[in-house]
Amino acid sequence: MSPRLIMKLDVAEIRREPGDVMVVGLRHPRRPVLPAATAGAHVDVHVPELGVRQYSLCGDPADRSLYRIAVKHEAVGRGGSRWLHETLKAGDALTVSAPRNHFELAEDAARHVLLGGGIGITPLIAMAHALRGAGRPFRLHAFARSRALAPLLDEVERAAGPVGPALHFDDEPASRVDLAALLATPEPGTHVYCCGPAGFMEAVRRATAEWPEEQVHFEAFAPLLDAEFVARPFAIRLASSGDVLPVPAESSALAVLRERGIALPSSCEIGVCGSCECGVLAGEPIHRDVVLSPRARRTRFIPCVSRATGTLHLDL
Amino acid sequence: MGVEHALRPRREESENPMTWSGELLHIHVAPAASMEMEELAEGTLVAGRGIEGDRYLLGTGSYSAKPDIREVTLIEVEVLEALAMGEPKVPGTKATLEPIDHRRNLTTRGVPLNHLVGRRFKVGEVVLKGGRMNFPCKYLEELLGIEGLYEGLLNRSGLNCSIEVGGTIRPGDPIVPLD
Repeated sequence: MSPRLIMKLDVAEIRREPGDVMVVGLRHPRRPVLPAATAGAHVDVHVPELGVRQYSLCGDPADRSLYRIAVKHEAVGRGGSRWLHETLKAGDALTVSAPRNHFELAEDAARHVLLGGGIGITPLIAMAHALRGAGRPFRLHAFARSRALAPLLDEVERAAGPVGPALHFDDEPASRVDLAALLATPEPGTHVYCCGPAGFMEAVRRATAEWPEEQVHFEAFAPLLDAEFVARPFAIRLASSGDVLPVPAESSALAVLRERGIALPSSCEIGVCGSCECGVLAGEPIHRDVVLSPRARRTRFIPCVSRATGTLHLDL
Repeated sequence: MGVEHALRPRREESENPMTWSGELLHIHVAPAASMEMEELAEGTLVAGRGIEGDRYLLGTGSYSAKPDIREVTLIEVEVLEALAMGEPKVPGTKATLEPIDHRRNLTTRGVPLNHLVGRRFKVGEVVLKGGRMNFPCKYLEELLGIEGLYEGLLNRSGLNCSIEVGGTIRPGDPIVPLD
């Protein structure tokens, strides 16, 4: 992974939105122009004491004077959003990385279908801005439980442009749409982008099961909230030395490698940033990251969260 | 003629004191790898260690685990000025590289850094000794997103130094040769 500049930015604005969402605008204290971001990019926010949290940029990528993120207060989360909601105020400094993008628009797509559920609408707003600016065809769909709880509706309207967004609220039957019907037929040249709660993403995944995998793109930020998963011990074998190292259930391959003096770069340690990526040569990995594409998963591995059955041969 | 001149044995250093004098323009530190640099009005240099508040004193730099001395790093403002003009024409990298961005600690004017390998010199009250010439890195190019910066800094990427005598330095301090 390429390195990114980490900056102390000024909190230029804070705005509250429905659905327990806070919009934070960040500017550089000395530079008028921030590092560029492409649509779909996220930044790492360094939350004091808690570590790094990823948030999608939801502003127009063409406006490089400001980064705008939207933070939903997650009552059952790991505490990052809570800290931001309870502590952050305008004028504060916040440590933020330059943007990175795992959720890029496909350059060669003829048409784009953008599907955002709840707070997951954020990267899709940036995508709509970029597509509209470039005059490329798209349709922006925002899903929420109700109009009253839907965050960022003004931004959604603005980003969608004159055609307007397609708004779908669970409690307004007339507005609801059947995902299976909407995505019934894979269309050549059409790409689908989806971000939202796990259930929503799963529904889109099912609805697009027949689509070529290259035409469907997902962004997820909460891989470890999968409560069903039970970590079991496994082993890793290093190609360079042939050493076989056990990874206990309560530890990670990354931690075991680190103890062994093999310090891979690392950052988020929740499988979203990709810093610790390494090659896998043989074995049965259990991929639990949200960085690697289905294609990359055939040869790559994210040792901070992913595990394996039996012994996994790593290209280290 | 040029080759013959270059191969001629160097005279004893005591017979050939350097006579330049320069100035310290900026002091920058970064608390950790990849953190944007911060400018200081005053820097505290600790002999044998680094600058207070900097990643290479704290051991949190990208190259902290690599051999070589990097207690304090310097670069010439003249290099930044040449880059801004796209000079030299080969490789022709034209880029605005601000002192806050180049990730060296000290920005100097009028100091022939490439000639200070193995030599001692003073920055204000502090004594530095030139280690290796700094080598540009793709890391900086990627960090700043300036294409061609790596090539643009080849042979003029500054000097890595050790700190022989510590102390406090400020922009405007004179920089003079000791041997």
